[in-house]
Amino acid sequence: MEQLLLPAIDWLAVLPVGLTSILGLVLLALGLFVDDDETLGWITLIGLAVTAVATACLAGQKSITFNGTFALDAYALFFDLLFLVAGIVVVLMSMTYLEGTGIPSGDYYGLLAFAIAGMIVMASATDLIVVFLGLEIMSISVYVLAGAWRTQLRSNEAAMKYFLLGAFATGFLLYGIALVYGATGAFRLDRIATAVGDTPNRTMLIAGVAMLIIAFGFKVAAVPFHMWTPDVYEGAPTTVTALMAVAVKAAGFAAFVRVFLHGFGGLHADWSMLLWVIAALTMTVGNVLALAQRNVKRMLAYSSIAHAGYILVALVASGAAGGTAALFYLLVYSFMTLGAFGVVAALGSVGEPNETLDDYAGIGFRRPLLGVTMTIFMLSLTGIPPLAGFAGKFYVFTAAIREGYYVLAVIGVLNSAISSAYYVRVLIAMYLTPGAEEHGRVARQPYLLTSIVVSAVMTVVVGVFPALWMQLARFGFLSL
Amino acid sequence: MSLSVALFYAFAAFTVISAAGVAFSRNIVYSAFALLGTLFGVAALYVFLGADFVAGAQFLIYIGGVLVLILFAVMLTHRIADGAVSNRAAGGPAALVAVGLVAAVLGRALFKARWPVVDVLADGPTTHAIGDGFLGRYVLPFELASFVLLAVLVGAIVVSRKELRS
Repeated sequence: MEQLLLPAIDWLAVLPVGLTSILGLVLLALGLFVDDDETLGWITLIGLAVTAVATACLAGQKSITFNGTFALDAYALFFDLLFLVAGIVVVLMSMTYLEGTGIPSGDYYGLLAFAIAGMIVMASATDLIVVFLGLEIMSISVYVLAGAWRTQLRSNEAAMKYFLLGAFATGFLLYGIALVYGATGAFRLDRIATAVGDTPNRTMLIAGVAMLIIAFGFKVAAVPFHMWTPDVYEGAPTTVTALMAVAVKAAGFAAFVRVFLHGFGGLHADWSMLLWVIAALTMTVGNVLALAQRNVKRMLAYSSIAHAGYILVALVASGAAGGTAALFYLLVYSFMTLGAFGVVAALGSVGEPNETLDDYAGIGFRRPLLGVTMTIFMLSLTGIPPLAGFAGKFYVFTAAIREGYYVLAVIGVLNSAISSAYYVRVLIAMYLTPGAEEHGRVARQPYLLTSIVVSAVMTVVVGVFPALWMQLARFGFLSL
Repeated sequence: MSLSVALFYAFAAFTVISAAGVAFSRNIVYSAFALLGTLFGVAALYVFLGADFVAGAQFLIYIGGVLVLILFAVMLTHRIADGAVSNRAAGGPAALVAVGLVAAVLGRALFKARWPVVDVLADGPTTHAIGDGFLGRYVLPFELASFVLLAVLVGAIVVSRKELRS
């Protein structure tokens, strides 16, 4: 009888993903017995907070385990914390938003935890197969979350569209991985990095890299792979939209940056041309189409496309400056976008989404807290100093200029100017357009308002003191 | 040309032709049955590669499970074979150009590739090595794959169950 050898498992490396997935399982089970949505929300909050604290305690660890496929480094921890904090904010929003929707909160919070677990895997993966598995765990959970509000037709439509196109993108990802494997004989990023220099199968390798760009481009909603974004973001429950616009996008970029700057770093000259075009298109198409929107939720969907373009600029610039700027921009973008979708959620109610600009008329005076915070988010998304959005754009464009991408930087700045038109239009609607008289009492939204205030405070704090956060981003990127 | 090479090409052709049947058939029932040929051909190709376990799994899971499910779904869906397609394919010429370009790139990649050639495949069962791998070197992907399946199960139940709380 042969001795069964248990594999050596580095439990510290899998602590964040382990805790999050256990939380998901516990929530699914509790959903059967606990009927109170608020209790389940609190359990999720506490679980995510405990995981975040545990993750923060891992700071300074650096190891690559599981046969070189899973990294515990500052880069992974930076993103883990970003996902967990975004998750906490989304749960706070959901605790108010789910009331009256009939969405079973045990399933909802359980799948939310699963999605975050998948994102954490994506941020840590140093192997294309593990990237794929993490991406699938995240995507499948989010497909279902997008359709969680099953009595709403547009939620069903969002889930169906996202699922069909997402499955297609997964096909591209797998085909790309197969071609890269065929050309280099490796799934592991470090082996790919050494093999790309002298592979005899260059055409196959480039074809594989192009397929991976399509797959990641879909997940981060880059033009021309963005077709699903407006419909899905508009149709999904607003809290899930916030999760998709922030955490799913950040997870896509976490894997994108690690795979391309680490694995395919030697091919930068090849893929940066492609990404240059995609970045320019993404910024321009996102911003120009956002101008035409009357629905604020849909406008924010196009705005999130445009912001993916800015992050792609940082990716094109590459190098320490570009990588750091990408991480910093994701941090900045997360808080202002979470907050903006929070305000959209706060103004709607079951049966009355109140998402068009007309519904925002006079809100600045009727609901002053929402008015002030929305002003902060809109100005920050435009890139007005001293808010966080300005610092983010500043670092991205500086990195682009430093690496010699002058034209791309100019396109980015011009796009920023275009974007101010539609962000300011929200402010005009809120403050300068006379609104209808108050109809009925405003519901109490303690959790939702907390999440909005937290996002607003973070947007201001990161904008006023960018150096500390920039240091974190640099620390994270340099650990790659 | 030895017998095994001839067989290999026969199976490869069989796979490709059935795949074309899946894609081009106007009747979804025919497509579902043509898929049987594709999945069977792929299983045969795995046998040629000396991957006995993968071939067996392909038979059991894809032909025995997935395909049967697809056939059930097709047959239980009311009037599915009537073939009233609501969204007709648009932009045929543009699609043709795009497909042609992709095919050219992939064809070039295939024919220019220098494949590593193995002289003789080791004969014998692969299950031992696979089992060791799953619980040793590849324990993380193995566990993650089971996590993916769990997420799929939960998601399918959440999406399809009837009752919604009021």
